[in-house]
Amino acid sequence: MKKAILFLLTVLISIPFISANGTKEATATNDNVSIEMWTKEGDADGTLQWTMGLVEKFMAENPTITVEVVKKTTVDELREDFQTASLAGYTPDLLWTVSDHAGPFLTADLIQSVDQFVDLTKFVETVKTADGSWAVPMSSGNHLMLLYNKDLVSNPPTTTDELIKMGMELTTGDQYGLVYNQTEPFWLVPWLGGFGGKVFAADGVTPTLNTKEMIDTLQFVSDLKNKHKIVPSECDYNAADTLFKEGKAAMIINGDWSLGDYEKVFGDKLGVTRIPMVSSTKKWPAPYTAGIYLMVPKGIDEAKANAVAKLVKYFTSKEVQYSQVNDFNRLPGLLAAYDAPKLQESSILKGSSYQLEVGTPMPTVLEMRAVWDGIKPELAQVLAGNLTPVEAAGLMQASAEAGIAAQK
Amino acid sequence: MSFEVVAKSLSQIGVTLALILLAFGLVELVIFFVYNKIFKAGDKALTGMLLAPALIGLFLLIVVPLIYELILSCSNMNLHHFKDPSFGITYFFDNIKRVFTTKILKQMTFWPLLFQTVLWTVIQVTFHVVLGLMLALILNSNIKFRDLYKGILILPWAMPPVIAGLTWRGEFHAEYGFFNIILRKVFGDGAAIPWMTDGFWNFVAMNITNIWMGVPFMMVICLGALQGVPTEYYEAAAMDGAGKGTRLFKITIPLIKPVLAPSVMLGIIWTFNNFNVPYFINQFMLESSDILVTALYRAAFSYNQYGFAAAFALVIFFILFGISIIYMKQTGALKAVGD
Repeated sequence: MKKAILFLLTVLISIPFISANGTKEATATNDNVSIEMWTKEGDADGTLQWTMGLVEKFMAENPTITVEVVKKTTVDELREDFQTASLAGYTPDLLWTVSDHAGPFLTADLIQSVDQFVDLTKFVETVKTADGSWAVPMSSGNHLMLLYNKDLVSNPPTTTDELIKMGMELTTGDQYGLVYNQTEPFWLVPWLGGFGGKVFAADGVTPTLNTKEMIDTLQFVSDLKNKHKIVPSECDYNAADTLFKEGKAAMIINGDWSLGDYEKVFGDKLGVTRIPMVSSTKKWPAPYTAGIYLMVPKGIDEAKANAVAKLVKYFTSKEVQYSQVNDFNRLPGLLAAYDAPKLQESSILKGSSYQLEVGTPMPTVLEMRAVWDGIKPELAQVLAGNLTPVEAAGLMQASAEAGIAAQK
Repeated sequence: MSFEVVAKSLSQIGVTLALILLAFGLVELVIFFVYNKIFKAGDKALTGMLLAPALIGLFLLIVVPLIYELILSCSNMNLHHFKDPSFGITYFFDNIKRVFTTKILKQMTFWPLLFQTVLWTVIQVTFHVVLGLMLALILNSNIKFRDLYKGILILPWAMPPVIAGLTWRGEFHAEYGFFNIILRKVFGDGAAIPWMTDGFWNFVAMNITNIWMGVPFMMVICLGALQGVPTEYYEAAAMDGAGKGTRLFKITIPLIKPVLAPSVMLGIIWTFNNFNVPYFINQFMLESSDILVTALYRAAFSYNQYGFAAAFALVIFFILFGISIIYMKQTGALKAVGD
């Protein structure tokens, strides 16, 4: 045992010296460069494996560049770790993450402009300030839409009146007309847009939650549950997802990330369309649109920046963008990739694009955190019947304002 | 995974190990030299050399973070002042003042939240000790299948808290959770409890979960202590006509107190600082289920108020420190360590 431990220690200690020699040689020739990329992709839906495959291919084509992929379990973990790493002076060289991270990273001055890496005019809308663009869109969307089981719904509802009528007919026994993640504010925002409201005033940072539009929205979602009873009494993401997959829910409001999974379960029986228009306002619900963005931390040296530029160009090449559409039903970040054959042929992606047309870009400002936190608990209380929409809207506003003040 | 990646990972571990070994080797040499050459007390060198790794470890893992926290609490650090925070004693007082005077959650200020945290801790520790002791007394008697019961009762302790917390959250689901299914079957549809949306019931759900998770620890501690109590005392008490209650309060509890008292102190500290259960059961939905550490988490990681959060953490630290000192003086916990 002692010998084994001694041997292991010797091997572990000797490796750095061997490896250090190798690194020295590489640096001496000034050819090799090693970069580290952090990604939020997970292995459950195969996106991490796909990302790793892309990186392997890139390294084969660029033998002087080594890319190390570090997977972060959640997007919050990626955000927190990146902030901590930045404080410690050790940052990765590229971030593959969600667009809403741009807000905190920009405020903390942790990322650099990406204008030097690609021509941003060739991409869908990105995070911009007067000083430049801050992220390269890898994919766009991340938006909510109405998905339905064609076995239960032949013609999807186009207005909320139809949705309620159809929902009541389809809610029988242990089957529900509609399911969605009721207490998550991300699912409330589309309806708020449908009632003509927004979470921020025109300046983009002042919360506007105590408004007639918000009160109407809260009344509407409360009615779906308590008056029309077309949604379960309590329903989180997992419950909604399971009910829909098991055929116990006719319709679900879910995001584009779930399309691949539902396509596997339902095949041709999966219908995708817009969330129905709000009958009283004649406005389409406006889900937030965002996407997966590539961000470059500040302070990386020139050699690494050049390697990162090559890697970003590869990720946003038409070939990779097509692959994203074909394998994961994600809408591309590169505008030229919108001619992908699958986008023209697939009814699922057509439905997703149809919804995207009325989406609204998700604010990436830091204040959004306070808005989410302000809405969530009060929304749950309205659904539970413990607060009226008027009371809840007032509390949401006060809470968001307090949260924003705390951030200063 | 390519050879290069494996080699790089191993090399990182190897470098760290090599550096730690090298550093400790140097420290040991210095201590040896100082004792022998400067103090001329070579016979004491071994004591210093043996203590050095633990002292250095404690310094790096406890003293340095505390100093860093103290420094951070004297700053205005947040995302707006992330790379260039200002430091000064006025920031420290401002941060401390904010802890006590402003809302540390959306609606709640420090004092109601402290009361909530104390209530949570008292309920938990009481249930843990009473139920743990009861189960230990049963397991310490001659019952059939004792080892089997012991194994089953210890299971919650063996389960990772994250998994247990999420599983329990599922069981409190209004429609598909175990509790409401049973309640509906027995008492009808109206009997379902809104575990996730009602403040009182959410607090009850939190407590049920943590009682389930915490009792096994206290049970094991009590069982260990009970097995050290000589049976002769009970035989003598029985001969004198002492009943079960008298034996419990006059023999058992006094004799297991040296073991029980430090465990209760640990229980108080762990429960006061328990983040997992309130987080997984409540998920920041209801302020009535928040405790000080969940508020601290929000300040530090949701709102990135690093300076304020450091001051807040110091306040929590000193509250716990005070409680521990008072408790130790009252119960004589850790007296054995001093002796």
